[in-house]
Amino acid sequence: MSKNVEHVNEPEVTAENLKQFKGRSMAQETVRRLMKNKGAIVGMIFLICLVIIAVVSGFIFDYDTQIIGLNPTEIYAKPGLAHPFGCDNMGRDILARIMYGARYSLTIGIGSVLIGLCIGLILGSLAGFYGGFIDNLVMRANDILYSIPNIMIAVVVVSIFGTSVASLLLSLCVTAATSFARISRAAVMQVRGQEFVESAYAMGLPTWKVILRHIIPNCLSPIIVQVTLAVGNNIIAASSLSFLGVGIPVPIPEWGAMLSDGRTYIRSAPWMCVFPGLAIMVTVLALNLMGDGLRDALDPKLKK
Amino acid sequence: MSDNILEIKDLVVHFETEDGCVRAINGLNFAIGREKTLGLVGETGAGKTTTALSVLNLVPNPPGKIKSGTITLDGKDVLTMSDKELEEMRGNDVAMIFQDPMTALNPVMTVGDQIAESIELHQHITPKEAFEKAKEMLKMVGIAESRAYDYPHQFSGGMRQRVVVAIALACEPKLLLADEPTTALDVTIQAQVLDLMKDLIDRRHMSMLLITHDLGVVAEVCDDVAVMYAGKIVEIGSADEVFNSTRHPYTEGLFDSLPNLRERGEELIPIKGLMPDPMNLPEGCAFAPRCPYATEACTKQVPELRHVGGTHYVACDAYHDPNFCLRRNSNG
Amino acid sequence: MIRYILKRLVLMIPTILLTSLLIFWAMSLTGGDPVQTILPENATVEQQEALREEMGLNDPFFVQYFRYVGGIVTGNMGTSYVTGLDVFDTFMHRLPMTLALGGTAVIISVLISIPLGIWTALNQNTWKDTLGMVLALFGVSMPNFWLGLMLILIFSLGLGWLPSGGSDGIQYLILPALTVGLGLAALITRTTRSSMLDVIRQDYMTTAKAKGASFKRVIYRHGLRNAMIPIVTAIGMQFSLVMTGSALAETVFSWPGIGLLVVNSINKRDTPTVTGSIILCCILMALINLIVDIVYAYCDPRIKAQYSRKG
Repeated sequence: MSKNVEHVNEPEVTAENLKQFKGRSMAQETVRRLMKNKGAIVGMIFLICLVIIAVVSGFIFDYDTQIIGLNPTEIYAKPGLAHPFGCDNMGRDILARIMYGARYSLTIGIGSVLIGLCIGLILGSLAGFYGGFIDNLVMRANDILYSIPNIMIAVVVVSIFGTSVASLLLSLCVTAATSFARISRAAVMQVRGQEFVESAYAMGLPTWKVILRHIIPNCLSPIIVQVTLAVGNNIIAASSLSFLGVGIPVPIPEWGAMLSDGRTYIRSAPWMCVFPGLAIMVTVLALNLMGDGLRDALDPKLKK
Repeated sequence: MSDNILEIKDLVVHFETEDGCVRAINGLNFAIGREKTLGLVGETGAGKTTTALSVLNLVPNPPGKIKSGTITLDGKDVLTMSDKELEEMRGNDVAMIFQDPMTALNPVMTVGDQIAESIELHQHITPKEAFEKAKEMLKMVGIAESRAYDYPHQFSGGMRQRVVVAIALACEPKLLLADEPTTALDVTIQAQVLDLMKDLIDRRHMSMLLITHDLGVVAEVCDDVAVMYAGKIVEIGSADEVFNSTRHPYTEGLFDSLPNLRERGEELIPIKGLMPDPMNLPEGCAFAPRCPYATEACTKQVPELRHVGGTHYVACDAYHDPNFCLRRNSNG
Repeated sequence: MIRYILKRLVLMIPTILLTSLLIFWAMSLTGGDPVQTILPENATVEQQEALREEMGLNDPFFVQYFRYVGGIVTGNMGTSYVTGLDVFDTFMHRLPMTLALGGTAVIISVLISIPLGIWTALNQNTWKDTLGMVLALFGVSMPNFWLGLMLILIFSLGLGWLPSGGSDGIQYLILPALTVGLGLAALITRTTRSSMLDVIRQDYMTTAKAKGASFKRVIYRHGLRNAMIPIVTAIGMQFSLVMTGSALAETVFSWPGIGLLVVNSINKRDTPTVTGSIILCCILMALINLIVDIVYAYCDPRIKAQYSRKG
C-alpha cells in the first residue's frame, strides 16, 4: 500500500528510440567498417592508380616505337635511371611495357568476371530458387565445366579460335561463371529457406518482390567478395595462359607473355623475368586486400 | 573446513569489446553449502553463465577479464591457481553441464570416448579400463552400454543431455554447475533429466549450482535460491523464504509475470521496460528505472545485500523504512 | 560405404561421356586434316580419299564419336600427329611424373600450412597472426610460374644449389614441387586459420576444457579433428589448381609430365594428343575427387553415416 514513492520516469520503448541506437543502414555500416581496414584502403588506392596508368599510357607512349618496336641501341639495358626496369631483348623499355600492359590484365580480368557474373548469377539463382529439374540441369552442367581445369578449356577454345584477347576472355568467363553459379545457388537456397522469406510471403508480397527486396540483398555479400577475388584469380589465369602460349600472343605486352619472353633470356637479362611478375603479384595483392576487407566488412562475425 | 563448498565474494567480470566495456558481473556475492542445491535465477543477459564459467576460471579471455573478487572452492582460491592446478580441479572437483546438448558434444568422437576422456584425465587407469567405466556411467544415466560406440548425432536431444550429465559426474565431483540443463529439451524430457540429476546428486552427496530462468524448476529441485539482476545478486535465501516471503521488487515482478492457472482470465503483469544495457548501466540501483517502488534515493546509491531474517538477504534500499513491504506480501 | 563408391563410379560414366563429347566436338571444329599430315605432299587425291575412307573420317560425326569413346575403354585413342606414338600410351607413360610432382607439392603444402594456420589462429590479432597472414596473402597473389622463375634465378643461377630443368633424379623434383606447393600452402593456411577460428568458438571446446583437458589436448584432439573437415574439402577442391599449377611448373622446369604434354601438343597442333589428354585428365580428376570425398567421409562420421545409409 505504500504509494508515497515517486515513480521514476522510464524511457518509452518506441521504434524511433531503437533506431536511434544504431541509426545507420547496413550499407553505411559496411562502408564504415571497410574504411577502418587499412589494407583494403591501400588496395583500393593502388587499383585506382593502376586504372589511371592503364588509360593514360595509351596517350603517353607511342605503341609502335616504344611498346613493340625494335630499339637496337638499348638491347639488354640494365635497370637504371634511364630505364628503371631495364630493357628487353628488343631494346624496349620494360616499365613502359608493363604500364601499357596493365590495360590487358585489367580488361581481361574485370571483363571476364563481369560476363561470368551475369551468366552465373542468373543461372545459379534460378537453380537455387526453383529447384527441381532446373536445379539438376544447371548443376550437372556446372559440375562438368567446373571440373575441367581452365587451362584445358583455354586450350580447346584457342584450338578453335586461335590466340586472341577474345579467346582468352571466353575461356576465363567460363570458369568465373561456374563459380558464381555455385555461390549464388547456395546463397539463394539458404536465404529462401529462412523464416523472414516465409513471413514476406505471408504478408502477401508477390514472388518477384520477395526475390528483389528480400532474397537478393541477402545474397549479395558472398557475391561481392567473390567478384574481387575472382578478378585477381583471372588476372593470374590470363597471365598463366599467355605464358604457356595459349593466351595473348607476342608481341603484345601482356604481363604473362612478357614473362614467357623473358624466360629465354633469364641468364642474360634476368630483370625481364622479375618485373612483369612483380606487377602481377602487386595487382592481385591489392585485389585480395580489397576482397578480404570487403569480407570482413560485410560480415564482422566472421572476423571475431 | 568451512560449511560452504563454494564462496564467491565481490566478483567483478568485464568484457572488453570493440564497441565498449560490457560489465557482466558487478560485485557478486553468494555461497553454496555442502550437499545443498542453489538455484540461480535471472533473465537472459543477467550474467549467470559468466558466473559459472568464472568458477572454473574459463571466462573467454579475450575479451573477458575477471577484474577482482575471490572464488573459493572447498577452501582453495580458484583465481590464483596455476594452470596445472586448474586442470586437476576441473572435472574432478567441480564439473559443468552446458545448456545446449547439441553443440556441447564433440561430433567426431564417440560418446564412450568422451566420457572416458574425463576419467582418463583424472584417474591413473588404462584407456581400456576408463572405457569400461564410461559404459557404467552410461548405464547410470539410463543409456544402454552398447551405445558407447555411437556418435552424438545418433542420439536424441534428451539422451545427449544424459551423456553430458554422465561426462560431468564421471569423476564424482563435489560441485556440479548446471547451466540451464533442461531449457533446450522438450517438457516431458525435462522432467526425466531433472529427476535423474536430482537422484544422482542425492546419492553422491554433491552440491549443485542450478542456473535457470524457470521458477518452476527451482521450486522442485533447489534448497536455496539466488536472484540475479544486471550482474548482481538482488535477493538470496532458502527456497521457502524467497518464494513465500519475497522481498525484492524484481523477484515480485518475476512471480507476477507467471500466469496463474487458478485465476485464469486475469491480465498478465509484465515488468515494464527492458533490462539495462550492460555497457551502460545506470547509476545507483540497476533496477530502479523499472521499479514501481523506486525513489530518488534509489538512483543515487547501489544497494548492498541486507539481512531480512533467517538466511534471507535482499539488496533493496526501500527497506531502510522498516514499514516497507511489497504489494504481494501485504495482500497476504 | 562400398555401395556408395560403386554408385559414384557408375554416375561418373555419363559425366565422362558428356565431357568427352563436348571436347571431341570442340576439337573437331579446329579443322586440320590428318590426312595431309600423314601422307607425303605429292599424294594424289585418290590416295587421300582412300586413306580418309580407311581412317573412317567420312563417317557421320556420332559414329566417329562412338568409335572414339569405345577407344577410351580399350585404351586406343589414336596416334599423335607429331610422334606417331599411341596417345594413350604416351599419356600413361607421363602420368606418374605429374602424380609425383602433384603429390610432393601437396605434401609440402600440408606440412607448411596446417601448423602455420593453427599458429595464426591461436594467436589471432597479434603480430604472429599478421605475419602469417601477410605471408599467406603474398603466396596467394603470386603467379606460380613467376615463383618458379624466381626460384631458378636464386637457387639455380644464383646459388647453383639446384638444377633448373630435367628429371634425372630427386633433386630435379625439389624446385618444381616447391613452385606448386608454396602457392597451395598459402591457400590452405588461410583455410586452416578460418576453420580453426570457427572451431575454437564451439561449445564442445569449452566442454573439453571443463573436463580439465590441457590446452594442447583441447586443440589437437578436439579442435583439429573437427577443423580438418573443411580443410580436406578445400584441398580436394584445389586439385584442379594443382593440375594447372603442375602444367605451369612442368613448362618452367621442363618436367616431362602430362601438363607439358598438353602444352607442347597444342603448340604443335597435335589434335589427337590434345583431345585424348584432356579427356583422360578429366577422368583422372573425377577419380581424385572421389578419393577426396571418401577421405572426407572418414574424417566426419556424420558424412560416413550418410554415405553408408544411402548406399
